[in-house]
Amino acid sequence: MYVATGRDLAVLVKPPRVLFVNAPMGNNFGAVGDSAMQTSVLRAALSMIDSTEQGGGLVDYPITWLDNFQFAPGGKASSATANSTTAISATDGAARLGESR
Amino acid sequence: MQPIKYVDALNEHYGAMGNPPYRWTVHETAPLHRLTKPLGECTVSLLTSGGVSQCVMPAFNADARNDHRLDAIDHQVAADDFQIHDSYYDHSDADSDINCIFPLERLRELADAGEIGSVANRLWSGFMGRIYNRSKVIEESAPAFADALLQDEVDLLVAAPS
Repeated sequence: MYVATGRDLAVLVKPPRVLFVNAPMGNNFGAVGDSAMQTSVLRAALSMIDSTEQGGGLVDYPITWLDNFQFAPGGKASSATANSTTAISATDGAARLGESR
Repeated sequence: MQPIKYVDALNEHYGAMGNPPYRWTVHETAPLHRLTKPLGECTVSLLTSGGVSQCVMPAFNADARNDHRLDAIDHQVAADDFQIHDSYYDHSDADSDINCIFPLERLRELADAGEIGSVANRLWSGFMGRIYNRSKVIEESAPAFADALLQDEVDLLVAAPS
């Protein structure tokens, strides 16, 4: 499973199973100290082992990151404070992904 | 917000330095191997490409090109025993909490809860960005990595690029 923050890059390279997380590069599993989201993303990725029907399958993880972030090589990608309120994950949606195992 | 268009952003970033557009690897299809046992019996490993190394190891070169270094990381390592050196992305959050990009604590918890069978003996960090000699990846580095995963009887690999 490939947990990507670059959707267009993953679509080009096409690993067998992709979970796309629309978060800053470097926050593939979420925000600092947000163990609930980190676990949720990990569960969602692992659930794809059974739910993926065709190689190259991509699932968009349900997430809303609280500020606009940017491609920031060597800089700061997100201006939001790095704490558990930075990201909101739609846990209901993530739970549904998990239930598909 | 809409996903960042990294292909365009990278072409613009490196084009400004005088480099030609990067020729991305493009695959039209991908293989799919199915498990023959439930997740609760699987051995799972992790791979990060985010310039992560244990504090006792030499740091990655933050500006490296074509660095095929791959570190094996003991699965019991403490979560605060890491350093990150990579100029390619913002790792300030991961500096504070390695689980942002390399969720080894979360993986251990899933093993303790029986959701996965076990955490592999070795976790991995390497294939840091900007590897342009892709034939070496295909012919040498990736097969060697696959052999290591087989040695550890890994069923699943969760790879997180940064």
